[in-house]
Amino acid sequence: MAIKKIIFLILLIFPSFCLATSWQIISNKSSIHFSATQNNSPITGEFKNFSGDIEFDPNQLSKSHIKIIVDIDSVATSFKDVQDALKTADWFDVASFPKATFSADDFKKTGDDTYAANGKLTLRNKTMPITLNFKLIKYTDNEAMISGKTELKRSDFDVGKGEWSSTKQIKNEVVVNFEIEAQKNDAK
Amino acid sequence: MIFKNTQNRFGLIAIVLHWIMALLMIGLTALGLCMVRMPISVQKLQFYGWHKEFGILVLMLVIVRLTWRLRNMNPSLDAIPAWEELAARSVHWAFYFFMFAMPITGWLITSAADLPVSFFGLFTLPNLVAANEANRVFYSEIHAWVGYAFIAVFCMHTAAALKHHFINSDAILRRMLWP
Repeated sequence: MAIKKIIFLILLIFPSFCLATSWQIISNKSSIHFSATQNNSPITGEFKNFSGDIEFDPNQLSKSHIKIIVDIDSVATSFKDVQDALKTADWFDVASFPKATFSADDFKKTGDDTYAANGKLTLRNKTMPITLNFKLIKYTDNEAMISGKTELKRSDFDVGKGEWSSTKQIKNEVVVNFEIEAQKNDAK
Repeated sequence: MIFKNTQNRFGLIAIVLHWIMALLMIGLTALGLCMVRMPISVQKLQFYGWHKEFGILVLMLVIVRLTWRLRNMNPSLDAIPAWEELAARSVHWAFYFFMFAMPITGWLITSAADLPVSFFGLFTLPNLVAANEANRVFYSEIHAWVGYAFIAVFCMHTAAALKHHFINSDAILRRMLWP
């Protein structure tokens, strides 16, 4: 019984030692957009649904960590044909890989209110290290807002297979822009 | 002067513009009819890219052409009956309508699809309207029907030119070949 109590106590106290402030994403104020290049002109879209565990405190970067899970089936573009094509096996293959995950626990301050999060992105069945550069736009007791971007190479994640692996018409570089607004989790 | 039109002859500028735009518009029509029927592929995407930038080239050239046309005399068509002259002139102005309407409705489609046009990689055109799927379908319908009308008028124009050359044996077609 004593062991159980100790474990319980550890579990109770542990989070306050190892976690920075916990945040809840406000979905309707947050977005993840991407911009690629086809025939030399921009093609943009977004992922409408995503969730995440965010423990972030600019004063406790070493204790901060995030995990964002993106619902790939929520990919949206203005032109529906593009949206449908992106869901097929040659592109995101949402049937086989419905989620993409970004997790990071290595944060660095890069400026007055700018930070870099070094982490790993898993998209399709590929995992690659990437860095998100973001700016802390708002940080109050209850609310926080960040905005940032990263640049990916779609070939790193096998996005665009077969004839689409050619980067002539659709360039390899994809810029991902995100804006996340969050409120403090009361639960923790 | 060889460049400008005269009472009876077309000048070199009018002739060159006529044939460059004829080739562009025939090519664009063939490409357009072909590409919309293709399944999605890299080739289809390439065809759309070409169709858009060469279409914008037509829009640029028609501005030059219309300016030239309005600042130049137009060779007379006195030798043919009045109704034929009226028909010929109407067809010519119909072409000016097509040369503006086709690229502009095309630009509207690609704007409504939020797929901006790159002009041969030199610059990217702004979208004319906000992205909207219903509007994209609407502009596509207009583009297609104006295109079919263009094909009909093109057939009339070509048939008339060939008729004048081979049946009437007059100079109507020849004067569009060389100043």
